Amino acid sequence: MDQQSLVSLTLILLTFALYIGISVYNRAKVTSDFYVASRGIPPVWNGMAIGGDWMSAASFIGMAGTVMILGYDGLAYIMGWTGGYLLLTFLLAPQLRKYGRFTVPEFIGDRFDSNAARLVAAIATIIISFTYIIGQLSGSGVVIGRLLNLPASTGVMIGVVVIAIYASLGGMKGVTWTQVAQYLILIVAYIIPIVFMSLQVTGNPFPWLTYGNIVSELGAIDRELGISEYFAPFSESSKMQFLALLFTLMFGTAALPHVIVRFYTVTTMKAARWSGAWALLFIALLYLSAPAYAAFSRFIIMTQVVGQPLDDLPGWTESWINTGLLEITDSGGDGTLNWQDLVINPDIVVMATPEIANLGLFVVGLVAAGAMAAALSTAGGLLITISSSFAHDIYYRLLKPDATDNKRLQAGRIAIVLSTIAAGVIALDPPGVITQIIAWAFALAGGTFFPVLFLGVWWRRMNAAGALAGMLGGLGVTLTYIFLSMAGITIFGIQDTGAGLIGVTANLILVIVVSLMTPPPAQKLQDEVTDLRYPEQMTYRDGEVWMNDGTDD
Amino acid sequence: MRKVEKKTAEKYFKIRTILVVICLLIGFSVSYGVAAFADVIYETGATILGMPAHYYMGAQGAVVTFVVLLFANAIISDRVDKAFGIDEKANVRISGNSSDH
Repeated sequence: MDQQSLVSLTLILLTFALYIGISVYNRAKVTSDFYVASRGIPPVWNGMAIGGDWMSAASFIGMAGTVMILGYDGLAYIMGWTGGYLLLTFLLAPQLRKYGRFTVPEFIGDRFDSNAARLVAAIATIIISFTYIIGQLSGSGVVIGRLLNLPASTGVMIGVVVIAIYASLGGMKGVTWTQVAQYLILIVAYIIPIVFMSLQVTGNPFPWLTYGNIVSELGAIDRELGISEYFAPFSESSKMQFLALLFTLMFGTAALPHVIVRFYTVTTMKAARWSGAWALLFIALLYLSAPAYAAFSRFIIMTQVVGQPLDDLPGWTESWINTGLLEITDSGGDGTLNWQDLVINPDIVVMATPEIANLGLFVVGLVAAGAMAAALSTAGGLLITISSSFAHDIYYRLLKPDATDNKRLQAGRIAIVLSTIAAGVIALDPPGVITQIIAWAFALAGGTFFPVLFLGVWWRRMNAAGALAGMLGGLGVTLTYIFLSMAGITIFGIQDTGAGLIGVTANLILVIVVSLMTPPPAQKLQDEVTDLRYPEQMTYRDGEVWMNDGTDD
Repeated sequence: MRKVEKKTAEKYFKIRTILVVICLLIGFSVSYGVAAFADVIYETGATILGMPAHYYMGAQGAVVTFVVLLFANAIISDRVDKAFGIDEKANVRISGNSSDH
């Protein structure tokens, strides 16, 4: 093992020990610890945990590369993955928090008083989170594999074992505090290389202010090479596909069960609003840096790699060619490297940046540890969500309502271990690249849940039949569209990654039409929805609003 | 418990709804709005912070606007609650009593 592997491995093992230590210290003792961390997480820390939960292997490893390769068209990911928090915080989170349940399927089951809706929501949650976690596991596989020169599959298995240990021990309480630690590690690891790169390229340590000129220069270089300008809009796709992808990512983000459940861990509606604001601030630190990564990496590749003789390429290229993530051909046959001869996998941009900028052993290791933190923190949150669907919604609420607290806790732990193993097995041979798998999870989440949750908290008249029709129809339409578009059949040129636009629209129409064609829900259910308009201290009852000022009835 | 005037309760909900609608309209126009006209803005050659304006809005402008909107919402909502006599301590106590289903 060379010196670099040793440094990286030491850093990663140190962070693993930290995560396991945190989850042992915050071991879950009762089910409300396990699922909602006893609802006692302060908004700023919850915001940070949301940041860790949210920023996945795809955000950390893949996004900058996607923007670098796609140019303007890649910015749909930046706006979509941040804009989701706007919808979530304005339209869903405070209301769902006041309703006060453990999981998304539980809200749907109780709001519509329907066990069928509960079961459908639980199964959809499991499918969505599973799709998503496969992306995380293959992400951690890339990192470990690259680091130890192992095949990515061994990397996947190592990631699986670590996650299973700490998620099953700590439950939501442990996962929350490990996510806070993971956020801090990943954001430091993400920002340090880009600050140094900015210093090297522009002489200014604030990449967010300086990369603009680089973007303009890239456009000039592209014009000279005769390829479409870096910032030219819709050069890789159509405007319609861009808007559909933006829509899918935004509405999917707002409807992802593992993100929503984080808002159940705070105390009040006010705390939910502040959590959303802090979360987006912490998330924005990474999302504002990704386009800078993209611009600087592309600039370095354009000026230091492209146009060089093939036998005199920078040293860092060799190890990445060996992993198969970077391919070089010599189509011109003239011995120099053309842009067209480079095939760059988006996943390598962030991982290779410290080597490209020559930042030394420690920073390379730090970035590896940061990428692991991003994959593990998201996987931890997903596993809690998957296991709560099995152990809370299906086992406790549907099959065994009389199970003791201990039994429920045990069921949750078993569910986590089993789902980790199952996800690990699928991730060994994942279908498609990471970004694409994740984009499907967004289409499925938005298409199944967004209209149902949105109208569920804002529209009294919505009933169980509407919810069932919306979820099943939305899921069906989204899946059908994904497969049709993969086969080349599209509407308005919208591809599989934009399927959420079709799914959400179908879901919304189904909910409204079916609800209006069937009898309205019971008065008690309608009153519970009206009650969500007001803060906790105000209660809606029998057509009147009451203020709880501490005096008796 | 004391009854809240119907008018007061409706006013509270109306203010909150208007706030949500305004913020979302702003949020949508800086993202979908700018993207829908990205090719037109690109043609004009306008720049912000040294990069083409449509690119700037996608890479920074929209995200910064989202963050500002969320903090503005949290601060304004707190003021609205205060104006209507809501005490966050009471909220915490009440939600703590009824949280575990």
